[in-house]
Amino acid sequence: MKNNINQTTLHPYSRSVSIIGVGCTPFMYTMDNPETEGLTEGELFGYAAYKAMEDAGVTPKDVDFYFHGEASPFNGSNYITPNMQVSEWFGMRGKASIHHSEACCTGYLAIEQAVNAVASGKYNVVLTGCVEFGDAVADPNKPAHIRRKFDDNMFQESLKWIYDRAYTRAMMCGPNLHQDDVCAWYKDEYGLTDDQMDDTLIHMAINSRRSASKNPLALARKTYEELAKEHDFDDVMEYMKSFFNPKMTANLRASGLELKCDGAAAAIVCPTEMAHLFTNKKPIEVLGIGNATREANQAHVELLATREACRQVYELTGVKPEEIDLLMANDFFLSSQLCAAEESGYLPRGEGWKYFIEGRTAYDGDKPINTNGGRCSFGHAHAASGLADVYEAVMQMRGECGERQIKKVPKTSFIRGFGGAQNVAAIILRTKE
Amino acid sequence: MGVKLERIVKTYYDNLAAGKITARKCQDCGAVEWPPLLGCNTCGSTNMEWIEISGHGKMIQMVMPSPITQRPEMEDIRPYCLAVVEIEEGPVVNVMVRGVNRKNKNLVMEKMPGVPVHATIIPRDGYDTVIFDLDEVPEVPKKAK
Ligand SMILES: [Zn+2]
Repeated sequence: MKNNINQTTLHPYSRSVSIIGVGCTPFMYTMDNPETEGLTEGELFGYAAYKAMEDAGVTPKDVDFYFHGEASPFNGSNYITPNMQVSEWFGMRGKASIHHSEACCTGYLAIEQAVNAVASGKYNVVLTGCVEFGDAVADPNKPAHIRRKFDDNMFQESLKWIYDRAYTRAMMCGPNLHQDDVCAWYKDEYGLTDDQMDDTLIHMAINSRRSASKNPLALARKTYEELAKEHDFDDVMEYMKSFFNPKMTANLRASGLELKCDGAAAAIVCPTEMAHLFTNKKPIEVLGIGNATREANQAHVELLATREACRQVYELTGVKPEEIDLLMANDFFLSSQLCAAEESGYLPRGEGWKYFIEGRTAYDGDKPINTNGGRCSFGHAHAASGLADVYEAVMQMRGECGERQIKKVPKTSFIRGFGGAQNVAAIILRTKE
Repeated sequence: MGVKLERIVKTYYDNLAAGKITARKCQDCGAVEWPPLLGCNTCGSTNMEWIEISGHGKMIQMVMPSPITQRPEMEDIRPYCLAVVEIEEGPVVNVMVRGVNRKNKNLVMEKMPGVPVHATIIPRDGYDTVIFDLDEVPEVPKKAK
């Protein structure tokens, strides 16, 4: 098949940029808990922003500019310039900002935006944050603390907004094929049976949930082993294949689909050489970010856009896949773990599925992936998810992840962003010694 | 030769209404864009001309519908699968393919990739669109009782 995707050559940043602070709220259903019911955009974004500033050792006075990301601000918040509406909640009144929106890839491109702004030389300290109400959406006629549930029908309806209206929606296939495309392609390419793919995805879910169970910020923290016991199953695999975990697409079970929810995350970046002015922690340098997009009418959207984004970032940085210690992959379809792992070279092509089954991708395995639990366990507050993954990578690289800490503290992390039918980012972070 | 401001989407749908499936062919590199676009994604040129496509293609990937991919608004085209089709003129596109059902899917799968399909224009609510049909719908032998 013709690749049919244009390529881009990246050029080195004008100056090195590092992440010096990260912040993240719990990912949650705010309306379901009396303690969190009524939380608003300003409070979630503001909390994540202040946490990132505290972590970086900067104050709002030190921050020159901020980026605001939200996947669906009109739907979730009834705002169209949401950077303005939250700008006074974290002490930055009057400072310049911009909003960007790339659906589920927003939080990954949030790092891209901030790094570019600092690398250009225009700003020294930049805050980048994202917030999303994926469960408790705005009531346009009431104050911000009064919200309503974003039910599945409304969500499905809103998903249309990420697809082209000239042809893709009318042709009906792209928006419905993409959830199965990676599995179908992989099975065809490597001759896997349906059962082998099913086992792979089930183990992925079990591994990820085990990480989430040790992450206080994660949404779903009960392991599948515990859930199996509660439902009188001795064997967790039997439970995972039962009607408690039905097939929702041709390949993905309920355990392989995102848990959309509410949350926010933020990061502070600055020139690497200035990091010591603010913090004693080791800066996490952003070595490079590859970007590609592919519209849903085109074949193999995730696969080919990921391939191109990975190609760019490796070409720019000269990093070898075997140097990667941690992979974070936006996995609102769980199969994304497999696609991102093989396209980034983190796992060998055609063999990656076995690593999941053998538990090697768990936080305590030799090839850890999504140690925060990922979108199907940590949760998916759409825009905020990317920065939540950045938060996790940075915390792992500092050795601050507690129970789910990877034994050999990662020095190099690869983050594969994905979303919005579809944007892809391939980010390489490295601890600056 | 420069870019022209023209109604490509409207022309495409007007052509469908007249029973013709059209694309745009790059006069510089020969690549075809279907569905039609302003410029060429292979070489970047705007030197594009309208062509009618044959409608013949080969299915290179198929996925059966499922609880969340089977949409009520698509009931009228059942039975179908979600597919990747390479059309004769070159483009590889995600399209609906009719004629595959739960009973004959294994027979179709045995002939993958490359099962021949052809484009069909079908009416929707206020416009027409293109889906594909299997050239030959395999008959499932009846089980002896
Ligand atoms: Zn051309």
